[in-house]
Amino acid sequence: MSGTGPREAVFPTRMNLTLTKTRLKGAQTGHSLLAKKRDALTTRFRTILRKVDEAKRLMGRVLQLASFSLAEVTYTAGDIGYQVQESVRKASYTVQARQENVSGVVLPAFDGVRSKDASDFNLTGLSRGGQQIQKCRDTYVKAVGTLVELASLQTAFTILDEVIRATNRRVNAIEHVVIPRLDNTIKYINSELDEMDREEFFRLKKVQGKKKRDAEKADESRQGQNEEYRAQGGEVHRDEGIRGGDAGGADMLDQGKDDDVIF
Amino acid sequence: MEALGFNMSAGFLEGVVRGYKGALLTQANYHNLTQYFRLQLSSTDYGNFLANEPLPLSTATIADKATEKLVAEFSYIRTNAVEPLATFMDYITYAYMIDNVILLTLGTLHERDTHELLERCHPLGVFDTMPALCVATNVEELYHSVLVETPLAPYFRDCLSAQDLDDLNIEIIRNSLYKSYLEDFHSFCQTLPAPTSEIMTRILAFEADRRTLNITINSFGTELSKDQRARLFPTIGRLYPEGNNALARADDVDSVIAAVDHIAEYKSFFDKAGVSSGAGANGAEEASSSLEDEFFKHDVELNKQSFLQQFQYAVFYSFVKLKEQEVRNLTWIAECIAQDAKDRVNDYISVF
Amino acid sequence: MAATTTNPKDRTLLAVIGDEDSVTGLLLAGIGHIDQNQKKNFLIVDAKTQTGVIESAFQDFTERKDVAILLINQHVAERIRPTVDRYQAAFPALLEIPSKEHPYDPAKDSVLKRVQKLRGD
Repeated sequence: MSGTGPREAVFPTRMNLTLTKTRLKGAQTGHSLLAKKRDALTTRFRTILRKVDEAKRLMGRVLQLASFSLAEVTYTAGDIGYQVQESVRKASYTVQARQENVSGVVLPAFDGVRSKDASDFNLTGLSRGGQQIQKCRDTYVKAVGTLVELASLQTAFTILDEVIRATNRRVNAIEHVVIPRLDNTIKYINSELDEMDREEFFRLKKVQGKKKRDAEKADESRQGQNEEYRAQGGEVHRDEGIRGGDAGGADMLDQGKDDDVIF
Repeated sequence: MEALGFNMSAGFLEGVVRGYKGALLTQANYHNLTQYFRLQLSSTDYGNFLANEPLPLSTATIADKATEKLVAEFSYIRTNAVEPLATFMDYITYAYMIDNVILLTLGTLHERDTHELLERCHPLGVFDTMPALCVATNVEELYHSVLVETPLAPYFRDCLSAQDLDDLNIEIIRNSLYKSYLEDFHSFCQTLPAPTSEIMTRILAFEADRRTLNITINSFGTELSKDQRARLFPTIGRLYPEGNNALARADDVDSVIAAVDHIAEYKSFFDKAGVSSGAGANGAEEASSSLEDEFFKHDVELNKQSFLQQFQYAVFYSFVKLKEQEVRNLTWIAECIAQDAKDRVNDYISVF
Repeated sequence: MAATTTNPKDRTLLAVIGDEDSVTGLLLAGIGHIDQNQKKNFLIVDAKTQTGVIESAFQDFTERKDVAILLINQHVAERIRPTVDRYQAAFPALLEIPSKEHPYDPAKDSVLKRVQKLRGD
């Protein structure tokens, strides 16, 4: 029966039926489009997922190498930590964001940029371990490169994750809420219209039956009056018509039952 | 004759130092250490010096503790020393003082709280009036307090003005100071009687040459001009003067090799380190770590030799240097174990 | 969503919270930056550092508009794990990095945890 599920609050008219049918069609198209988008994103997401996993593990190794090269520096040049911290002025290694478009989702990607005048620590360890420091620095620059790459992947991962969730929500909403609702509405309108038809038919029948009964009653009372009049010796006025007399003037309504009117 | 007087004043201390020296880790100790670090350390002279440290041990803790031990031994000798050994030992500490003062200068330049810097100072270079330096709030004040309060005053006066402290790169300052220090130490050693001066000259000459070479190689491709570079070269050592002049003009590793060509030992470092002529700057980068290693090895060798002669002060200097190397080795081994780099663990330089 | 409050192009810096060695190494690579207000983009954490200090630095770095990537030592992240796990924003990207004495443990990484969860099912 109609009215079991949630439906739109509309009047059950033929126009609304057409409208709702169009909307249902739209929702179905939207659903399939979104589902396609979701699939595309998910494919991309899986690739990134795998890369993130790999890159994270790679990073572990790279940083281990890097911190080992720092240990080499400590061995030859002593503790340079404080000096390095204090010589910091302006970042010579920065990142630049660029954007990539995947199925309408803007994914940022970072690129590490090393400025040319990256010589802040050139003189550190001048008398001892300078070469190691340079080497260590290069190792760390490489490590940071890996980190930047990983960061891009991870950002893409986070954003894609978010977008996929949102898309999924929409797909599911359309599938499980919007479409059933429209379906329900259509069913509702249809059933309401049917109901109205049936009522109309019944009403017509009722009208017809009533009319017939009234006509019989009228006929009967006229015949009765005629008899009475004749008994008093009066002449019943007859409408002679074309043929006149008893032969003519047959009552139209007296010719038996009509066929049912079927609408 | 010297030997007669020596034992009166320094005989006991020499004995002590030789005792300490005997406690330095040997090749076998190191070998065991690389296998089971903590276990083996307790069976050496270090005893259970890590016993009270909470786990997990960081390499920094190990280095700190080992340095503490070195300092304890050093100050024991220093307290018992009489002139001229006392002055000699003071000279040893000056090198660390330079580092500390530089550290404080850095802190002041960046307007840091200099008090927390005191913790970072090398304990050997701590002097009584050092906290006074922390009071300084700007470079000008710091410069004056250094002049008044520290034994480093002459070095500062020689090569710097307060203005320089602000402008020059801190590394240049450090190296200028170190150069003055080396020269001063050297001339002081000349005033000491024969065996000491002889041995110390040899050690200091190598130290000076090592610095000269390192500065030259490390300054390639930096903003350090040749003029500035030449000013940082100590005016002692076997490379001085003509070698220094050649190095001051050097543009690449090849010219460095050419400059040291006449000193067979130094030449062999480059040969061993594999800095082949023609390899250029890239080759130098690859091989320089082993070049440093060669320097360290030779340093250790020289210091070991100083123990061969009795009745002289060089043993004290050598002891400190050897012990320092040992601390480095310990840290290295600990580091390798901590970072799971077993293949590099044997790259330490064994002392004995 | 991809729409962030600020343009990601303005974000150029890497920030780092970690132990001294990690920070020193990264600073050597040249990521260190001190702005006009003498504000640093790195924090050195040792055993004595209060957890509150780490927390506030973390908040600070994640809210700064010029930070693109925030690096944090894993063992430091452990100390403020709830805050780290709660952090979900895309910018700045949060990376947990291993330190010298604490080798990398993928099981603890807040992002990898999500990765594992997503790959698992």
